[in-house]
Amino acid sequence: MKKILLELVLTIAVIVAVWFGLSQVDWMKLFNIRQTTQNTEEKIGDLFWKMLKNSETEITSDSIVAPIDSILIRICKANSIDRKKIKLHLLRKDEINAFALPGNHLVVYSGLITSCENEAELCGVIGHELAHIEKNHVMNKLVKEIGLSVLISISTGNGNSEAIKSALKQISSSAYDRKLETEADLTAVDYLEKAGIDPEPFANFLYRLADQSKNLPSQIYWISSHPESKERAEKIIERIKGNSFPKPEGKDSLRFERLKEKVNKGL
Amino acid sequence: MITTLKFQYEPDEHEAEKASNSYVMSMVAIMGGLPMPVINLIATFFFYLGNRKGTFYVRWHCTQALLSQLFLIPFNSAGFWWTISIIFTPETISSKYIAYMITLFIFNLIEFVATIYTAIVTRKGQHVEWWVIGGLTNLICKA
Repeated sequence: MKKILLELVLTIAVIVAVWFGLSQVDWMKLFNIRQTTQNTEEKIGDLFWKMLKNSETEITSDSIVAPIDSILIRICKANSIDRKKIKLHLLRKDEINAFALPGNHLVVYSGLITSCENEAELCGVIGHELAHIEKNHVMNKLVKEIGLSVLISISTGNGNSEAIKSALKQISSSAYDRKLETEADLTAVDYLEKAGIDPEPFANFLYRLADQSKNLPSQIYWISSHPESKERAEKIIERIKGNSFPKPEGKDSLRFERLKEKVNKGL
Repeated sequence: MITTLKFQYEPDEHEAEKASNSYVMSMVAIMGGLPMPVINLIATFFFYLGNRKGTFYVRWHCTQALLSQLFLIPFNSAGFWWTISIIFTPETISSKYIAYMITLFIFNLIEFVATIYTAIVTRKGQHVEWWVIGGLTNLICKA
């Protein structure tokens, strides 16, 4: 019996050793997997963005883009995320929405900026979308919902415009599954904490929009595409319980109010 | 890994054929059952059930064939569910995963070759015992 056990342990050890040995090889690089995936993702993302840009009005005014960009820089810097890889786009649209596209595109609608009561709320939403990008949720969602074959045909230029439109609709106005949404929320909380931003307003934003969405469901895309908002807000509150954060200064709220004014005026 | 030993008695032609068939059965099922490795296990199990009242030589080899299939099942299942999680969850393909799949391929190949070899030699009436599996079979299968 001892001999059999010894042989069994030895065999399993050999299997694990072979696995460990083979794991030392960078197969992803050898088979060029990461590069191929990235190329596909970038092509799809660029295609989606091109379609969006053609159908919506992009905000290019520095006085609006720069403050949003500074929020993104702040979160990225504090979390060692390469800001340069994120392609930030602002679109003039009343819908309260922000979403990530493949290829590190981050799209924010003006309706979202004006619906935030303070900068920290907007930081929370941006952090949440950034988490979807960093955790590779975007491509996973697309693969799961529209299928790899459709994505490949889109990236190789063989997809018809209806397929692209439908994929774009999926990514911009439908939810990730609950597990991914929670992961993105909690990652956003981490991002905010590291950047010295209080995550509580992010939870408040979820609470408030969950209430508002009862009256104006079609306008509040970000919330209708992110179900169980109250439950998610509670999880955020639970996660930050006992932590203290610096309170925003008066000049910060003034700056954010000015930004909202400019967005409202269409500057 | 495979040791040729002298069996307790000299099996006759009919026994050698049945014993050899238990290995052939698992091989055929591997081909038919890919990529679901559990199918060859089921096939071998039914062959084992059908022969559990056979002669000692036949029973012994049916048991060894069944145990050989069982041995890699946990490893193959882990690989199968890892693949499923890559397709259906946020889990992504990694060098570790590819290394695991190559490891699985190597050990399944070794098992496949060993199965062919054993099917051939048992057909000739010789008795072969596999590393680990032979010892386990001796524990389970009594004359």
